[in-house]
Amino acid sequence: MKWPGIKKKLRWWGYLANEAYNAPFRSTVARAKREQDDLFMLLIFSEMMGVPNPVAYYTLELQPIMLERFHEWHTRMGMEHSPLDGFRCC
Amino acid sequence: MDRLFERRIIFVGGKGGVGKTTTAGALGLMAAKAGRTTLLVSTDPAHSLGDVFDMPIGNEETPLGPNLTGLEIDPEAEAESHVATVKMSMKSLVAPKMYAEIDRQLELARHSPGTMEAALLERMADLMADAKSRFDLLIFDTAPSGHTIRLLALPELMAAWTDGMLGYQDRSRKLGELLDMFGKQHSKEDEFGMIGGSKDEPDTSRDGRIKDILLTRRRKFHRARELLTDKTITAFLLVLNAERLPILESKKTLDLLSKFDVPVAGMIVNRLLPRDADGDFLKERRRQEDEYRAEIDQTFAKLQRVYLHLLPHDVHGVDTLRKLGEAIVEQLGVQ
Repeated sequence: MKWPGIKKKLRWWGYLANEAYNAPFRSTVARAKREQDDLFMLLIFSEMMGVPNPVAYYTLELQPIMLERFHEWHTRMGMEHSPLDGFRCC
Repeated sequence: MDRLFERRIIFVGGKGGVGKTTTAGALGLMAAKAGRTTLLVSTDPAHSLGDVFDMPIGNEETPLGPNLTGLEIDPEAEAESHVATVKMSMKSLVAPKMYAEIDRQLELARHSPGTMEAALLERMADLMADAKSRFDLLIFDTAPSGHTIRLLALPELMAAWTDGMLGYQDRSRKLGELLDMFGKQHSKEDEFGMIGGSKDEPDTSRDGRIKDILLTRRRKFHRARELLTDKTITAFLLVLNAERLPILESKKTLDLLSKFDVPVAGMIVNRLLPRDADGDFLKERRRQEDEYRAEIDQTFAKLQRVYLHLLPHDVHGVDTLRKLGEAIVEQLGVQ
C-alpha cells in the first residue's frame, strides 16, 4: 500500500474513533439545545396557547423572527399544519 | 420643595375627579413662567387637558403658551403603529397567501387586554428618556391612581421577563457552543439524519436579533425605573379632596409608591370649602371637612401639604389656571 493511501485510511479511522466518542454527546447536547429553543419559542407564542403573558405587547415583535422556528417545531412534532387556530404559518 | 421645578419629571396623581388635570396644568404654567421649558403630558385615556386649557391638544406636541407644550397620549394610535411594524416584518417572511392570516392574528393582538396600557407605558418611557434634549421639565397628568401604580410596576415585570428570556437564549447559545466543540464541522452527519446539522446556521443572526430586541426593551424600562426612583429627578404629587374615599385611596397609593421607591414630594388638598360660604348645609359640610382635614394632617404629617379652596367657577382657561398655580407655588415656596 502506498503511503498516501495509508494516510487516508488512518484519517478515516481517526475520524471514526473521534465520532464514536463525540456523537452520543453531540446528540444529547443538541437535544438539550433544541428543548431550550422550543421553550423559548413557546414562551413567545404563549398568549396564543392560553398562557397569559404579562408583556405580550412587547414580545409581539419577536414573533416574526420566530416564525420559521415555529414552523419547524410543529412539523417536527408531527403536525402538518400549525396547531394554533389564530396563528398559521403554512 | 422649593426646588420642585428643578426636577426633570413631575407626576401628578390621585383618585379620579379630585383635580389632577387642573393641578398639572397650573403647575405647568408656573414652571413655564419660571423659565423652564415644560411638556405637559396627559396619560388618561379620557383626556381633559385640552378642555382645561380650552384648546385642542391631541396626540401631537401642541404649544400652549410661552415655554409650555401639551400632549395627550393616544394609546390606541401607539398600539396601532406598533402592530403595523410587526405586521410589516412578518409579511416579509411569509408567503403572500398568508397575509390575511397575519392581519387577522395581529388585529386580535391589538385588541387584547393590556395592549393599550403597554403602549401607553412605552410612550411614557420614551418621553422620559428623550424629552430631556428638548424640555427642562416633564409633567405627567396621570390616569387615576390604580393605573399609575401599574405603570410603575410594569417595568419591573418586564425586566424580570426579559431577564428570564435572555437566560433561555443564553443557555441555548452555550449549548450551541458545546455542540461546536463536539465537531459540528462534520456536516456529513446530516445525511445520516443526526441531530445538530448545519440547518442552525442562520440561527446565529436570529439569536442576535432576538437578543437585541430583548435588551433594547429591558434597557428602556430599566432606565425609566431608574429615573422614576431618583429623587433628584422625579417628584410625585398626590392630589386629594378632604373626603373619605380620596383619603383612603391616597393612603394606599402612598404605600405602593414607597414600595416602589418613588419619591413623593407632597400633597395637594384640593376643593376645600371656603371659610365664608354660609348656610347650615355648608356649615355641616365644613364641620365634616375639618375632621377629614385633621385626619389628613395626621396621616400624612411627613409630607408637605398645599391647601386649595373651592372656587366659585370651574377652572377653565389659562387665567384661572394661573391664579391656581400662583396659590400652589406660594404655599409650596417654589421660586
